[in-house]
Formats: sequence, C-alpha cells, structure tokens
Amino acid sequence: MLLLPVLLLVFYAFTNSGNGLISFRFTLQHFAKFFTDPDFVSVLGRSLGIAVKTTILCVLLGYPVAYFIAGSDERTRNVLVLAITLPMWINMLVRTYAWIGILSKGGFVSKIIGLFGKPDVEILYTEAAVLIGMVYNFLPFMILEINTSLCKMDRALLEAGNDLGANAVQRFTRITLPLSIPGVVSGISLVFLPAVSSFFIPKLLGGAQYFLIGNIIENQFITVGEWNFGSAISMIMALIMMGSMYLVRRFEKVVSGGKEDRR
Amino acid sequence: MEEKRPLIQFKNIVMVFEDGQVVLKGIDLDIMENEFVTLLGPSGCGKTTLLRILGGFLEPSEGKVIFDGEDMAKLPPYKRELNTVFQKYALFPHLNVYENIAFGLRIKKMSNDVIEQKVMKMLKLIGLEGYEKKNVTLMSGGQQQRVAIARALVNEPKVLLLDEPLGALDLKLRKEMQYELKRIQQEVGITFIYVTHDQEEALTMSDKIVVMKEGLIQQIGTPADIYNEPVNRYVADFIGESNILPGKMIKDGLVEIDDVQFPCLDEGFAPNEPVDVMFRPEDLEIVSPEKGTITGTVESVIFKGMHYEVIVETVPGTTVTVRMRVIKNNEVTSEDGKEKISANDFFVDIEDVPDLDDKEIIARADAQAWDPQSDDFLSIAKVEYDLKQEEGEYPVTFTTASGLSIQKTISVVDQKYVKNPRANEGIMAFNFFKTVDEITESQALDTDLKTWANAQAWKLSDENEKVEVYVDYDFDPENIGVGTYKVTFSTAGRELKVRTAARQEEDEVIGTEVGLSIAPKEIHVMHKM
Amino acid sequence: MKKQKRPVGKAFMILSIVFFYLPIFFVVLFSFNSSKSLTTFKGFSLQWYEKLFKNRDMMESLWTTVLVAVIATVVSTVTGTMAAIGLSRSRKLVRDLTLQVNDFPVMNPEIVTAIGLMLFFITFGIERGLLTMILAHIAFCIPYVILSVMPKIRTMDPNLIDAAMDLGCTPWQALTKVVVPDIKPGIVSGALIAFTMSFDDFVISYFVTGPGVKNLSIMVYSMTKRINPTVNAVSTLVVVFITIALVIINIVPVIRERKLKKEKERTKI
Repeated sequence: MLLLPVLLLVFYAFTNSGNGLISFRFTLQHFAKFFTDPDFVSVLGRSLGIAVKTTILCVLLGYPVAYFIAGSDERTRNVLVLAITLPMWINMLVRTYAWIGILSKGGFVSKIIGLFGKPDVEILYTEAAVLIGMVYNFLPFMILEINTSLCKMDRALLEAGNDLGANAVQRFTRITLPLSIPGVVSGISLVFLPAVSSFFIPKLLGGAQYFLIGNIIENQFITVGEWNFGSAISMIMALIMMGSMYLVRRFEKVVSGGKEDRR
Repeated sequence: MEEKRPLIQFKNIVMVFEDGQVVLKGIDLDIMENEFVTLLGPSGCGKTTLLRILGGFLEPSEGKVIFDGEDMAKLPPYKRELNTVFQKYALFPHLNVYENIAFGLRIKKMSNDVIEQKVMKMLKLIGLEGYEKKNVTLMSGGQQQRVAIARALVNEPKVLLLDEPLGALDLKLRKEMQYELKRIQQEVGITFIYVTHDQEEALTMSDKIVVMKEGLIQQIGTPADIYNEPVNRYVADFIGESNILPGKMIKDGLVEIDDVQFPCLDEGFAPNEPVDVMFRPEDLEIVSPEKGTITGTVESVIFKGMHYEVIVETVPGTTVTVRMRVIKNNEVTSEDGKEKISANDFFVDIEDVPDLDDKEIIARADAQAWDPQSDDFLSIAKVEYDLKQEEGEYPVTFTTASGLSIQKTISVVDQKYVKNPRANEGIMAFNFFKTVDEITESQALDTDLKTWANAQAWKLSDENEKVEVYVDYDFDPENIGVGTYKVTFSTAGRELKVRTAARQEEDEVIGTEVGLSIAPKEIHVMHKM
Repeated sequence: MKKQKRPVGKAFMILSIVFFYLPIFFVVLFSFNSSKSLTTFKGFSLQWYEKLFKNRDMMESLWTTVLVAVIATVVSTVTGTMAAIGLSRSRKLVRDLTLQVNDFPVMNPEIVTAIGLMLFFITFGIERGLLTMILAHIAFCIPYVILSVMPKIRTMDPNLIDAAMDLGCTPWQALTKVVVPDIKPGIVSGALIAFTMSFDDFVISYFVTGPGVKNLSIMVYSMTKRINPTVNAVSTLVVVFITIALVIINIVPVIRERKLKKEKERTKI
C-alpha cells in the first residue's frame, strides 16, 4: 500500500499513455520533452532557486529564535514551543489565504510601508510574496528541529568548555554550533523538500503567471491529463530532492564527523 | 525439619542462541522443596538464561526441565506454577500498587472480596499497608521491590524466581532487603531461586549456592562448603577474599609452596601433582619470624574498619637496574630562530629491530619540533636511518618540513633480562638518555620512567602474561642536574593478604620481618583448572 | 544557563511570534467585516457567517473533512499500532526494511505520494471520490502512527510482557492489559497527529478526490480565485475549534502533572 504507488509512478514515467497495464510501451520521451523545452527547465531552476532562498532565510531567522528558546528556563521554553506549534495546527491553506489580504494593495503591509512615505505598493503576486508565504509555512519546522537539537545538548559541555578556557564566542562556534548541525540539517530537509514541490503557495500568492514545478505537475494531472508526462516530472523532481538531501547529509558528516585532530 | 524431595530437576540443559553463542553447556541440577537456592556467577555465565528457561520465557535447545515430576517443556509461562520477580521490577506503570498486586488474581477472575483479602495480606507481609493507592512509578526502589515480590507471591506459587532483584538498590537498602527476603521466604515456606553476581548476598541468604561459569556449574553446596572447600581457584576467587598460590602436592597431607612444605589435611592427589592452594586471609596468623612457617616483609597496612589488612611479601620481587644519563640540552634551533627540534639517543633490543618504523622511532627518541614563539608543535616530516639487525650504533636523522634537522644515535644491543624462576617472573629494561627539562617537567614520572626505559615484566610460564612493574630511584626529580643516575624496576614478588584484628601501627610495622603461620586444617588444596 | 537579558534573541522571538499570528489575527478580524474587502475593515457584521451556513457546498465540505478525518484516524491508529507492535517483535531485518518503506511517505514530498496514490486508484479502476479520499488518508496516516508508537514500544521495559505472562496472562491478555495501556501516550499522540494530518490535508486529497467531493482545503483552494470572505468565516470557526481542542489537550496533562506532584509530596511524608 505504501510502496506500490511509488512504483506505479516510476512505471508511468517510463511508458506511453495507454492508461492501462495491458498496453504500454517503454519510452524515455517524457524525460526528453522536459529537458529540451527551455520553459520547463527554467521553471525547474526557479523552483530550486526559491526553495534555496526559503531554506537560507529559514536558517537565518530560525536559528536565533531556536537559540533563544533553548536558552530559556523550562517553563518559558514549553510555552514558547507551544506558541510556535499552535498556528501549525490550523489549515495551511487557510493561513496562506490570510496573507492575500495582508499583502494586497491597500493591505496591512502596504499601509505600514506607506507610513514611511512610500507610495502604495503591491507585494501580492510577486516572488517576494511567494517567499514570504513559504517562509511563513516552513519556518516553524526549522525552529523546532534546531531547538530540539540544542535542548538535547548537555549543558555540562558548555561548562567544560568554559573550564577549558573557551570564551563565549568560542563556546558557541566550537561547541554549540557543531552540535546543533544535525538539527539544522533535519530542519533543512523539512523546509527544502516541501518548498521545492509546493504548488498552492505560488498559486495563491504568486498569481496565475507565477509557475513552479509543483504547478506544472498539478496542471499535467488535473487540467491536461498527461499522466505519463506528469509522472516523469515528479520523478525528476523526486530524484533532484534525494540528490540534494544526500549532499546535505554528506556535508553534515564532514562538519560534525570530521573534527580536525592535531597530531 | 520436614522431609525434602526434588521439586525441580534440570536434566542436561543446553542453550544455544540464534547467533550461535552457547550459553548453557549441559546443566544438571536438583532443587528441593522449601529451599533458598542461589545461582551465582559473573554476568554472562548463563544464570539468568537458566532462570528464564525455568520461567518458560526461553526454550532450551536440549535437555528437560522436570517440575514436580512432570516435564514442563511445552508449558507456556502463564500455565506454570511459579512466579518471577524481575530485574528492575517490571511493575506495570499504568496501575497503582493495589492493582499491580491484584493483577494475577484478576486474570484468574477471582471475586473482588477474595482479591482484596489476599492483597491486604500481602501488603502486610511486605510492610506497605496504606500504600495501595500509590503510583508505583513514584515509589522508591526498595518499595517497588517489595511490590514486585508481593505481586508474585500473591499467586501462591510453588517457586519464586528472583532475577538480580536487589541490583538496582544502594548498599544499605540491599542489606536490609537481604534479611527481609530471607524472612519472607521462611514465612511463606516456598522455594526461592535467586540469581545474583554478588557473592555476599549469596552467602547471607542461601541454603544452597550454585556457582556458575561460562555455562557450566562449577560447584553446588551450602555457603559454608563453598567458602571453606571451593573446588577450584575460580570458585575460591569468586567467593570471599583469598590467597591462591601455585603449589605441588608432595604426598597426602603435605603440600609445597615456593620451596616451603606445609602439612595439610587434604589427600587424594597424585604424588607431585601441581595444584592450587588457598589460604583465607583471616586464617593466616602473624607471629615472630622464628615461629612462622614462612617469613616475609610487611609491605602495607590498610585499616578496613573491623580489621586490618596486612600485605606480607614472602618471596622478594625481581629487580633490574638501569642507568639514566641526564644531559643539559638536546635542542637544535633553526638559523632564523623560528623553529626548534629535539630528540634523544636510545637503546633498542636486537629482537625488536624489525618492529621499528618511523612512528616508533620518533616515539622512542621522543623527537619533537616546535615554534618557540607560539609553542605550537610542528610535525616531523622525515626520519632517515639505516638499521641492521646486528649489535652496533646507527645514526638517525629527524627533519622538519622546512629542513631543520637533528642527528641522534640508535644503539642496538642484545639486552639480557633478569630471570626469577622461584617467582616465575622475568624483567627487562634499557639504559636511556633524557634532558633535565624532560625530567623536571614530567607530570607522572613513574609512568614516564617505565616508558623511557621500555621496562616490562612477564611470567616465565607465559610470556604474554604481563606483570606489574614498580619504579624506584634515589634522585630528586625537582632538582636534578646533569649526570648518570640509577633507576630500579621491580616486580611485587609473592604477596600474601593477612586479615587481623590486632592493632597495627603503620609506621612501626611496614618493612619489618614477620613470620606467618597457618593451621593445617585451614590450608585448602584444589586441583588445577 | 545564565540569566542574561539577550535583547537580540528576544526581539527575534517577538517578531517571529507576530509573524506567525498576524495572518490568523487578520482572518478572524475580517470574518466580521461588513464589507467584502480583505484590506480595510469597514464595520462589524455577521453576514459572512450567515452566508457560510446557507452555503450548502461549504457545509458539505466541512462534514466531509470531519468524516474523513475521523475514519482515517480510527483505522490508521488501530492498524498502525498493531503494525508497530508486530514489528517490534519481528526479526531485525524485517523491521528495518519495513521502517525504511514506512519512512517513504514521511520523507517524500507530499505531491509525489499524492500522485502515486492517484495513479494507484486509476490503475486499479477504483472510482475516485469519498472512498478513495478515505483510503488515501488512511495510507498516509499509518506511517505517522507507527513513528509515534514505535519509540514508546522501544522504551517499554521488555520484561513487562514476560511479567504479565508470568502472572497468568495469555499473550493476547498481555497485549490488551499491559502493552496497550503502557504505550497509550504514544497511541494517543499518534492518533492526534493522524487526525490533524488528515484534517489539514490538501495536496493528497486534491489529487485523489473525485468530482463533487471536496474537503475544506480543496474548498478554500477553489474559492481563492475570487475574493470571498466566507473563507474567513469558516477559517475562524476552524481556528476556534482547534484552539479549544488544543487548550484541552495541553491543559489536561498539566492538571494531571500537578496531581502527580501532590501525590509525590504526600508519598515523601
């Protein structure tokens, strides 16, 4: 039940229509079609680009927040974690939908900007809007992952570091940061993967012209009905994701496993 | 005393785990009614496995378990008339004290008032009346322990199995619970089978002790039997403190240890059979040198609260003395003054030449290079030498990456070692070179001296069995100057542990010559393992 | 840790909290707006709630969402728990392999799982509609239940089952009287995760549903093409519902903990 759908997807990606198990032909044409069409390739590039930007923003914003939470006493920490988790319980679409009003012309954000003397700007239906939507949806994952890894860290390690003569900055860069890398990495996988494949955030906040790879897949299946081609695109996307996660894991091993040793 | 008959019989139990590990190698054991039996042995000896087979949680690969005359091979745990007190208690965390104890009775669908009656009786037995509504996870280890016992006993089993039940308790509580357990066993009058690795627990509580080692039973007997008449050095060593010496049985009633003959009561050995001889420390008596069967020097005295433990050396250790040449300086500085390198000459045994490689030579010569300004260590890039497996002196050059080098000498010698057949020991050490700084800066000089001289001692009977080496020297390491010094390495020799209640003044007795005497009946001769 | 003021951290913290709650605040606010605008608040009115309750499609989607979530939660919790218990007692190789496959839908992007399931239903000629949606939800909830139950089983004292059997339980009784009560927290949190995953789901439902069958997420998605403040109204209802549920879930353990503490203190005496 779990494995079969994935196998079917691979099967469809390599075959030609026929819509059944009886009449199929093995083909690579869907992959060829995707990579020869500059439009598709540029959409893929844009998807990866925005996912990378989202991930970087999430790390930069999430780390200080997680660090603050981990540094609080236990009660405050529980309250803060709860405060971050709470919105996640509310339907993603509903929360994303809310941003339409905030970001549109005359909305909250443009009014704030208006206070500084700038004319009425419309952020909705720009890449910035999509980016805000993605960061909004995925930042909590990053914060929670980093926070968990920071909390797991033995406080005695910092005291030991202090005892061995490390100052506050050294304690952070030599002890805290390397030990929190696993948290950052799992945070990255929780942000990057859904960000690449997301399709309703760009549709809601990016407008009809703003296409990401997820939207193409959606179109192929829902509107056009080209399942084989759609499967091929999904497969390409899945492979790229697996590849990038593999690279990130390798990076993690290099950073936290290969500590320099002097001899 | 009521008549006893075997309640449980283990017949040739063999247990092989899935990974091919043989945990039990053929166990035959009878357990009587109303007996407190302890399975004693270190972890991994198979004692817990044997208990789990009896409990029905494991099926033996071979052999039979007979319970009350019936083979119980195919009986699942829930149909066996025995109950278990588990390691770390295994209380049900979702149930309170009352419900934990009542669990077995509820499964048997007893009526509520019968259950209440029985549970209350148990709570009284274990001294936890008024605790029935308590959350078991919040209780102390000792209390949880009692609940676990009550939970098992309330089912009125014929046998209670206890798997290291006191392991998680602290020392004082453990002692209390030992008496408590014995009391409960006598009160309910059923068979207890108790698994532990703690010999003291076993001696305190048991009617019968079964000593196990690597899946085999070594000895079965009463605590007194096991303590006084261990069958071999393993049992002797495991139970209580002992001196175990290699000896030779001259004839019945006469045993020879370290060239001294002792009359004893043991017989039935072959003439001149090599044996192990055991003395308990409390059976040795300190007397004047003339009166003792053996004489020795007092090495140390430790006050143990109720008694003194005196270590007497009866056979002197083996010693070897080497020369340590202390020189002023062994550094070379680079022309720009930015690098320094140092190394020492060293001796090496002709047999060890093939084992030398760059790393080993750097270590033996203690070659180092560093930046004098920052004190950071630099790496030694190159080691050049041309060694032959013949006695002689060979030059060796150490060079850093920037080309600074130092030349030293490796002396290959045929080092004689000192043999001491009486103590079955050999010892060897080398002359060596050091600088004043290296000695004054040493953090652990004894260990460093052993490393520098490459000192080692071993059993003549087995070269791989290492013997601890002690260091002695008469220079002042804080204020040492250039020159040659003697360093002596020695082994401990034969040391006997003596326990005495007589007051021993450390300052007065250490180093004095004493005699030791022992009554023939206190000497226990055992077959070699 | 030292009691520092940490003003920078605090500023980040406050900003992120504002960031997280701002949209929710606006949703609630504009659900009471008297005009259709999503940007300016004209005045208080309940007209969007009125419209919502009159809108049959909307109410139907709410019903579908709850129905699917309840069925998916019950079925996936039972099967997931059984699977986790079974796995913990099976051979290591089988367990590791199954857990690898189990990780598939959790690690894979949702859209891939969604398409896979869609193709699955198409290939086997199952007509897409409410049934496929329920099946798909069960399928993607099971891994989460297993993942939340598994650690509880691992930390359970392995002797507990032996102890139960020792005291006369058959294996089945040991399961129902000891194992299940002991891992209950894991099962409950697994069920909670399953329920919210299902309740929240858009991507998978969107691909496996058939004509006319919509859950709340699909409804919201289809209405975003035109401005429609009833979305705000229904969202507010969801927010209120979830908040009440969360308050109950989070406060009950706190009260229980207090009780435990009190008892602990009494035990000490």
